[in-house]
Amino acid sequence: MPSTLSNPLRLGLRQERVISPQCLVIFGASGDLTHRKLIPALFELYLQRRIPSEFAIVGCARRPWTDNEFRKNMKAKLSNQISGKEKEWEQFSNYLFYEPVDLQESQHVVRLSQRLNEIDKTQATHGNRTFYLSVSPNFYASGCLALKKAGLLDDPKKSRLVIEKPFGRDYSSAKKLNKIVQSCAEESQIYRIDHYLGKETVQNILVLRFANTIFEPIWNRNYISSVQITSSETVGVEDRAGYYESSGALRDMLQNHLTQMLAVTAMEPPGKFEPEAIRNEKAKVLQASKLADENAPWNCCIRGQYGEGGNISNRLKGYRQEDGVHCNSTTETYVAAKVFVDNWRWQGVPFYLRTGKRLPKRLGEIVLTFKDVPVHLFESTIINPSSNQLILRIQPNEGATFKFEVKSPGSGMKSRPVEMEFSYDESFGEPSDEGYVRLLADAMLSDPTLFTRSDEVEAAWKLYTPLIELMDNSPWKLPTYNYESMTWGPPESDQLLSKDNIFWRRP
Amino acid sequence: MKPQLTLQTPLELPHEEVSNYLNKLWISEDTDNSGANTFTLIIWQPAWLEQCLVQKGLVKGPITGNLSPEIIEVVKKFILDEGLPLTTSFNSEELLDLLKQNLSNNDFEDFRGQFFESSISTLNPRRLITLAPTLNNSDIKTFVSAYCPLSDSTSIQPICGDLVVVRGDSAAISHKGLKIIDELSIDELPSWLWWNGSLDESPEIFEYFTNHGQRLIIDTALGSPNRCLKVLDQLKKSNKAINDLNWVRLKNWRESLAMIFDPPSRRPILDHITDIDIDIAGDHMIQALFLISWISDKLGWSFLRIEMDSELTRIEFERIDGEKISTSINPLPLGNPSFHLGQVIGLRLISKVSDVQKNNTCIILGCESVECMRLEAGGMANMELIEQVVPNSFSSSEYDVSKLLGSSRGNTSPLFENTIKIALQIFNGFLN
Repeated sequence: MPSTLSNPLRLGLRQERVISPQCLVIFGASGDLTHRKLIPALFELYLQRRIPSEFAIVGCARRPWTDNEFRKNMKAKLSNQISGKEKEWEQFSNYLFYEPVDLQESQHVVRLSQRLNEIDKTQATHGNRTFYLSVSPNFYASGCLALKKAGLLDDPKKSRLVIEKPFGRDYSSAKKLNKIVQSCAEESQIYRIDHYLGKETVQNILVLRFANTIFEPIWNRNYISSVQITSSETVGVEDRAGYYESSGALRDMLQNHLTQMLAVTAMEPPGKFEPEAIRNEKAKVLQASKLADENAPWNCCIRGQYGEGGNISNRLKGYRQEDGVHCNSTTETYVAAKVFVDNWRWQGVPFYLRTGKRLPKRLGEIVLTFKDVPVHLFESTIINPSSNQLILRIQPNEGATFKFEVKSPGSGMKSRPVEMEFSYDESFGEPSDEGYVRLLADAMLSDPTLFTRSDEVEAAWKLYTPLIELMDNSPWKLPTYNYESMTWGPPESDQLLSKDNIFWRRP
Repeated sequence: MKPQLTLQTPLELPHEEVSNYLNKLWISEDTDNSGANTFTLIIWQPAWLEQCLVQKGLVKGPITGNLSPEIIEVVKKFILDEGLPLTTSFNSEELLDLLKQNLSNNDFEDFRGQFFESSISTLNPRRLITLAPTLNNSDIKTFVSAYCPLSDSTSIQPICGDLVVVRGDSAAISHKGLKIIDELSIDELPSWLWWNGSLDESPEIFEYFTNHGQRLIIDTALGSPNRCLKVLDQLKKSNKAINDLNWVRLKNWRESLAMIFDPPSRRPILDHITDIDIDIAGDHMIQALFLISWISDKLGWSFLRIEMDSELTRIEFERIDGEKISTSINPLPLGNPSFHLGQVIGLRLISKVSDVQKNNTCIILGCESVECMRLEAGGMANMELIEQVVPNSFSSSEYDVSKLLGSSRGNTSPLFENTIKIALQIFNGFLN
């Protein structure tokens, strides 16, 4: 019998773009991201037969590994993903190479350049290269300068530079970093990664909005009363305390992932589905965004920090008790903000964004709440008729729900809410790729559509500048409220909405 | 997309000078300006129908090689006026023979090879060579021009190429034209041949190209089914890359059928298929054969036997569990002449898990322009019924060709390769 685990008629129908021969150079190859995300994503691309035979992955880090040690280390770290695909891994691992490089040492970079030339010959990669900076953000600028100095970014058609988040710590540092990076490479060579944009469900927002006639006419201030964007995690800071203490939820999540979701939700339709057309619209909407009260930003933002929680069998540490966290730390692990988009489409519609660690559920969603009907003709089976809502679930259980009123069965004319569901799982039955699979492929295909442009990054930092200045200069005005682990953030966050007679959706 | 004309009128040159002229065309002080570094596309562009209509004065010239709405209307009227069957194909020999009667010997403006749909030109072809056979006896004439595609998209950087038109009667093309093509080939670039005519015609010219390493684009809806399958067989045996527009036009059917089984809850239906019936427009069975072959390949069925009569074609397969599957191809007269014969217009798939009808499933796919009452008949409504409308494929052949040029790696796609294998197995089953 043919396997019905996957759809046999679907096999071979997808026309995926094929990556051209090239060498992918990963700086920070001994780091977490490489074995947790990048190599698994590349292995997945290999399994999907999207990697050309003329290909090489060169890992670079300070550790004095050999090619074989790098291959061995990756194999050990990816043992779960490799299980059952050992033969494929053996073939894939032939693409893996390693060169010890300290980006601060110019002779190392020169040596790397020579090694890449050799690899070009043995792997027939034609000098076509993608450089992935998966290093500490402190080394982004010097890393770019070192690559520029070694002439590795000279050919704008054959070299690309991928930079991980966070891109800067605030507006001025992002601007400065942009200036340095743009002095090393053309904007068309630079791929600032935000892995949320690689998620199928985030991309689906564009399709939902611009491939259907029914949504766009009501996607504005005339019909929508508010928008909530949530990204919550159940885990705590884990082993990232060193980074997180200097970052916090605002810089780590709000400024990039949530703001990108806001941009995709609120942008105007682009004239064409072309990278620059889309990025122009995203940049415009971010430039039009502002905090709900820029003069008194403490009124439109709530910060929180998780305290202890859990139950007797599973006690959870508070943030300040985590390894590597200062015992008096005021770093926020939760942030909620109210934002307006000052343009014709969204004037007056509040966008509430929240993100946090140690919340009860891991999820990402966008909730568009529609305005009430002008006159309530029907009595509701619950207290009040509920507003229509469109809920776009980014993760998990990816899909969408539309909530609307119907007649409750019976002789009366009472209304009650029902939900119309779309689930990726039920409709397609195949897991969507990890964001990094899509984004790595796109970068190697020189497709910048899902990467953030310099003006987008700067606009996103500018949006939160009043909050960042407040946190730096008068932190007492924006206190970090404590919340119990595995609850939906501090109660003050509920008040941010209740002032507007709105409540957070409890997913 | 609109066709684009060349910016300059092609220059008529003696064929001995063409190669030199083109070489000089790209010698420039600007070393970057050496023309596109992409591919050569050779097009066999007979346009017999249009040539006849223009010569008969039924359609105003010039001859372009494009099947315009005006031509379609005129042909439909001609078929009615001459009392031909309504289903007469635009490519039928009977129709062409009638049109060829009492033709004038006048020369008409012939723009073949100067019109290109922008979907092709934006791929920046390096060299476009059109073989334009004429109805009237005529020696070889060659025309050349530089060609810079115009694009309204800012993301596409147009790079110039050149075009050559080789015009003359079939005999002249066969004797002299092919030598010219030889001289014009650019060895380092891939070369495609689009045979934009019936596979029945000019077999010696077609064979010349199949022996010369070109990547082939054919259309198995044009030409008799026997000849088309024989061509596929030969090409497959000689390991030639085959791209077939008749297979490309089946894309909506393959996608729509696959979509039905995307929800995991429906996938068990595939394990219990017992019957498949395919309706086609006219009696050209190749596309339906491709569809059945593709399904059987994906579901791991084995071909058992084929029976053909004037009404329908029956093909029997065996599932991996030993159960038999009965399939049929039913030609239906649509009362409308068509250019591409044998297009699939309906599909019924029955999956039986028990003797109780309501536990079984009937899937019906119908194209937009045809009602599916026929397929619903016979108690199908008592089963769980899944129905889907398949969008008609409205893209032009030029557009389909541009998609192939833009996406093909130069080999036969693995899906099509497997499909051809089974289609030929079925065809040979009939011959034996």
